[in-house]
Amino acid sequence: MMLRLFLSLILAVSFFGSFSAKAETELWGDYSGVTLRVKLIGGGQYEGLYNEVIPWWEENTGGKIEIVTQKNHFELDKEIKKDIASGNLDFCVASNHTSFASQYGNIYTDLNNIMPASVLADYTPLILEHSTVDGRLVQMPRHSDVSNLYYQKSLYEDADNKANFKAKYGYDLTPPETWDQVKDQAIFFSNPPDFYGTQYVGKEEAIAGRFYELVIANGGALFDEDYRPIFNSPAGVEALQWFIDLYNAKAVPDGVLNYLWDDTGLGFASGTIAMNLDWAGWAGFFNDPENSKVAGDIGLVRAPMGSGGLRTGWSGSHSFSMTESCPDKEAAASFLWALTSNKAQMIEARGGLSPTRPAIWDAIIAEKKAEGDEFMLMVFETFKMSLAEDAFTPPLIPEWIEFTNVLYPELQAAILGDKSPEDALATASKKATEIMEDAGYF
Amino acid sequence: MRKFLNGPWVLLMPTLIILTCIVLLPLLLSLWTSFTPFKLTKPDTLYRFVGFRNYERLIGDIDFWIAFGRTVLFLAIALNLELVFGLGIALLINKITYGQRTLRTLMMFPMMFSPILVGFQWKYIFNDNIGLMNNFLREFGVIQPIPWLVDGILANVSIMAAEIWSSTSVFAILLLAGLLGIPKDPIEAAKVDGCNSWQVFKNITLPFLMPFVFIAMTIRSLDVARAYDIVQMMTGGGPAKRTELLWTLISRTGYVDAKMGMANAMSYISIFLSIAFTFFFFYKLVEARQRLSYE
Repeated sequence: MMLRLFLSLILAVSFFGSFSAKAETELWGDYSGVTLRVKLIGGGQYEGLYNEVIPWWEENTGGKIEIVTQKNHFELDKEIKKDIASGNLDFCVASNHTSFASQYGNIYTDLNNIMPASVLADYTPLILEHSTVDGRLVQMPRHSDVSNLYYQKSLYEDADNKANFKAKYGYDLTPPETWDQVKDQAIFFSNPPDFYGTQYVGKEEAIAGRFYELVIANGGALFDEDYRPIFNSPAGVEALQWFIDLYNAKAVPDGVLNYLWDDTGLGFASGTIAMNLDWAGWAGFFNDPENSKVAGDIGLVRAPMGSGGLRTGWSGSHSFSMTESCPDKEAAASFLWALTSNKAQMIEARGGLSPTRPAIWDAIIAEKKAEGDEFMLMVFETFKMSLAEDAFTPPLIPEWIEFTNVLYPELQAAILGDKSPEDALATASKKATEIMEDAGYF
Repeated sequence: MRKFLNGPWVLLMPTLIILTCIVLLPLLLSLWTSFTPFKLTKPDTLYRFVGFRNYERLIGDIDFWIAFGRTVLFLAIALNLELVFGLGIALLINKITYGQRTLRTLMMFPMMFSPILVGFQWKYIFNDNIGLMNNFLREFGVIQPIPWLVDGILANVSIMAAEIWSSTSVFAILLLAGLLGIPKDPIEAAKVDGCNSWQVFKNITLPFLMPFVFIAMTIRSLDVARAYDIVQMMTGGGPAKRTELLWTLISRTGYVDAKMGMANAMSYISIFLSIAFTFFFFYKLVEARQRLSYE
């Protein structure tokens, strides 16, 4: 290793494209003859990065990247679990996520021991904290996600809507500041089956996460400090009732309980949804007339507040990790840096994704100002504020996904009227207690 | 020793070794894991024996038994409908004298689609908002969209429709092979004696076909778990477990929750279901063949 490598740790000012970011610590080296096997998250929104960064890294280091797997995150998660069980961890770098990372035990190396402190200093400290499991930094953050509320502007500018809403609800029709207002407005705008006030992701971790953030916004919590479930509470019932009320009022499509992220994004772009809580990754798509019927008519506000006075802000970060078994850790560290470097994050930021480096926030906002792109400027400013002030992660415990799998069927049962909210949460709470007991929390 | 080396066992050894490696060992390993709290993400748990704890938990798990019962019902209805439709298609194609080969090829098209693709296309057909079915019904005045994949009964019917579309041709092909093998003499003799079409079908064609029916049933009952992909794509077992079948439950427990020990315990209980179906169909197959040779 020592003979063939020289790790060049240099401070350089990077210039690329039309922007210049602050000085960035680069992590190049000569990795001729090294081939890194990698497992990456696939899909349209993720692959553009690889097309640019992999050739860039190969050209600058002489190393080679072999993509072993490229599939959606849930399939990748299953594959990595199977790899752990079979002890077949013959890859160096893999896509990861802050919500998933704690499941994988010690297969990923502690990057605190590998990444120079000057490299880590380029990332937002809070995001690095969220990327840490049991004191080990197991992932380099790629981009963060938190959701804010997109809405059709023209609905709020319409004089008839304003007058009718005020007459019915007694307050002015303005973009909502609270989730109760979202409910009122969604019911007001709905005209099923042609038009719906809003929608929500309705299954799996997605609805469990949405419920979680609403419980927090209502002043509640999922677990106490010993990880005993405490979501069967007034705050939890209130959160679940919000989903139920919208469903019963037909303010969301009937099939919403089968919806995941693509369904809600495409639904808003179809022009049949008034308000949509979603991440920044859709912004460019929503405002593209080729793909979206609401292009040019989109407003955006920070995620509204619950009854506890807090805004919803379920957040996480896509990331990359390095396996403990990787034989070329220095090369892998260089590749991890490249995948999350200023250049890489600028590529993704231009597509609307939220960077994890403060320098890129400044750079992308400056770029959008210079271009006069008011819409994307609003998007970046809103998401920057939201990530700084509202964002919180789910409990970073290995049992998170298993917990969501016992929670979401009960939420669905209550929404469909099979159970009362109290019964549904009591059942979910009982099952969650078993999971936590089995895991040895108490 | 020399006797052994010159005997038939030597010739059988390669087969026995291969079968042991690819069938017996994985079966024994999965059986062992069902007596452990094995988690994919914690390989060490493979060596912790917990006796029948997983099975005891499953016996008291109402969700598991509801999924078990729903799977039995799903199998019974889907297989019988596939048989009826497959038999109808085979009888119709058997009557055709021109273009039969082309139709036989066309009939096999649904089998060529992967179950994942079938799940996607039927999810789109039954989508409550933009789906073909609701848009079609709208043309006939059904304005309110029908929540095909949400309502408890409709969601199961929708999944069954996709499964039947995908697999009816298996029955049709096997039964068509049976029809082509039926001797013409008894049928012609029956017609000469004045039997009508229904009497010919009931008393001659069907008894001849019964062994093929049970062979098809056996093959399909073992193969029907391929429908997992269809269910996973269309509803994922939801909403609120309304379409949960053993396959979605076992897959989620094993791969998403990573609780492979528990998932294998579920699988071993559900194997009894497969054995019961297979035993029943083989019993009926032998009975049908005996009756045929007697007649």
